[in-house]
Amino acid sequence: MAALMKAVHVSKNMNNIMKLFTNLSLTPNVITSSKHVFLHRTPALHCAFIHITPDNRDLMEFFDEPKNWGRNEVKVGRSWRKDELRLKSNSDLHKLWYVLLKERNMLMTMEEVCKDENKIFPNPERLDKVKDSMNNLESVVRERNRAYHMLETGETGERPGKLVYNCLGLKFYHRMHQYIIPKYMNRKWHKWHKFGFGGFATRRFLRLYREKIWNQKRRARNRDKNRVAVLMSKFPNVDIEAVKQHFPNVDLETIKTLKRARGHHVPE
Amino acid sequence: MKLLKPKNKQLANVVQFHCSMEMTKFDIKNYMEKIYNIDIIEVRTRIAMGRTKKDQLQGSIIKEDDRKIAYVVLPKDQSFVFPDLFKDAKGEFDEEIMNESKSKDLQEYVKENKAPGLPGWFRI
Amino acid sequence: MRLTSTLLRHVGEWSKKYSNLPDSYIQRAMAQVYWRTPRKPNYLPRTIEKKNFRFSIFRPWTNQFHRDNRPGKKHKFIHVEPIKDWSFFRGDRVEILEGKDKGKQGLVKEIYQERNWIIVEGLNTKLRCIMKDKNYPGTFIQEEQPLLVTSQVQLVDPSDMQGTQIEWRYKEDGEKVRISLRTGRIIPVPVASEETVDYKSQKLYREQPKDTIKADAEKVTFMPSLKTFEMDIMDEMGIKEDRIQKSSYWY
Repeated sequence: MAALMKAVHVSKNMNNIMKLFTNLSLTPNVITSSKHVFLHRTPALHCAFIHITPDNRDLMEFFDEPKNWGRNEVKVGRSWRKDELRLKSNSDLHKLWYVLLKERNMLMTMEEVCKDENKIFPNPERLDKVKDSMNNLESVVRERNRAYHMLETGETGERPGKLVYNCLGLKFYHRMHQYIIPKYMNRKWHKWHKFGFGGFATRRFLRLYREKIWNQKRRARNRDKNRVAVLMSKFPNVDIEAVKQHFPNVDLETIKTLKRARGHHVPE
Repeated sequence: MKLLKPKNKQLANVVQFHCSMEMTKFDIKNYMEKIYNIDIIEVRTRIAMGRTKKDQLQGSIIKEDDRKIAYVVLPKDQSFVFPDLFKDAKGEFDEEIMNESKSKDLQEYVKENKAPGLPGWFRI
Repeated sequence: MRLTSTLLRHVGEWSKKYSNLPDSYIQRAMAQVYWRTPRKPNYLPRTIEKKNFRFSIFRPWTNQFHRDNRPGKKHKFIHVEPIKDWSFFRGDRVEILEGKDKGKQGLVKEIYQERNWIIVEGLNTKLRCIMKDKNYPGTFIQEEQPLLVTSQVQLVDPSDMQGTQIEWRYKEDGEKVRISLRTGRIIPVPVASEETVDYKSQKLYREQPKDTIKADAEKVTFMPSLKTFEMDIMDEMGIKEDRIQKSSYWY
């Protein structure tokens, strides 16, 4: 409820900026297979180069509206935000998902066509906006499901996983799978999933690997130090606070004493 | 899922799609029927191997990703022709308009100055 | 992932503000990945890509930027003076302290935070010849050159229209404002700093045909109920599931 209140509050503060994609009700019966309920988009085809029967018009949903063909710019608003999606019911989200999915397919088709024809694809950021909206939508749905499962069972209900070491001794997140037989009976699983490490070779590899990482860090540290020294010599009036903010691990006091940090100007 | 322009000549009732590798024929059939409301007779798929080419910069051999291509067969009485999207497309700037404005600018510049009380060669 | 996020750190917030593009697009348009390991268990996730970019007056998503940073092109490292708070915004009136337009005042037109640059409208210009060919002698245009914010420009105090040093301070209600050090007056952030390529200010945005109407987007249709998303959708569509799931093991 708190989340809902927050969402309502946010919507009040919301500026009247644009939302991507018209009409939540564009595809009211996406999932039903009945043909007649579906709202056909009837593009105003201005020429007779498409020989399609009326039933077949749905394939034209893979293309943009004819008025946008060959245009250099197709303006759209921003993507859906999580706070806006939290206001919507499950069925609305379900419909919106398919609207977004169709839009994404359309954009990918148009991008491919433009690439083939050596033309500029107008506003390629639309793809990112759709993707962002879909990610937000999915996370909102998962949020709701997690709340239900936490309330009913005390668990998140998400796919479990854990951090494990692989044979090389490197840590990774193992996402678990669902099986009908217990682990000890599953010989094939044990064949493919080898966790944990040991032995001389692995330990030597890890030692060298750690050395490599340590060297990378050391180089980064030295690089930062040198950069600060150059900054001090190049810009004698540099804001020390800003340098501290940008290079938090560099000791400025020691760098100030360096000769190369002094620069070719008369000290005041 | 992308609709592809057929490279070779194709029957009028066959449409090509590029779909994700994980999709099966049944998935594609359901996808088209449920989401796009399209009648489908048959779906055939193939996995097109990505081209192998030499990288211009480093000279290394690079292979593009494989992709799954689906041939969706519509009922006999239906047909689909890939539309010509760039039939009346205009370039960013029109060459003719550009030349016209250029010559106009030049004539404007070369023209004598008609401002009263000033010599003809005077420019602001 | 780490690499791409460091990539984006370079593109300043105020440089990309006017374009109103999503971050993921800027990142995608800018990145030059030469080799990415396939997503297979026998590969560690590694990418070989361009890490050092040369920023100039060309925006990271343009072709000119890509031409400046074409593969194999190396450039000298450019030291940029760190700044704590960016204080020059679009539409600000500034005074120029150096160059041929020294002492003149103008409005900030463009911001390049990666290089500490701004472009002042109509000032600090250079002549450039364009469209020159055999039949046409070319047109000369005045092109504004970037100015360093650290030393070459100064904000103008609106109370006396004189250049001044500024400082960021907090008002009593917690708002952060720019204060003129000479007169102690507040220099307000101009409205034009909100402007993007899509709208002058957020309130004046004109809805495009593909946009959702504002009322539709704000309408609250959510009704809390003790159901998961899937259960709700199944109820609505009348899908009944009588099968009982077998016990299973997660590992």
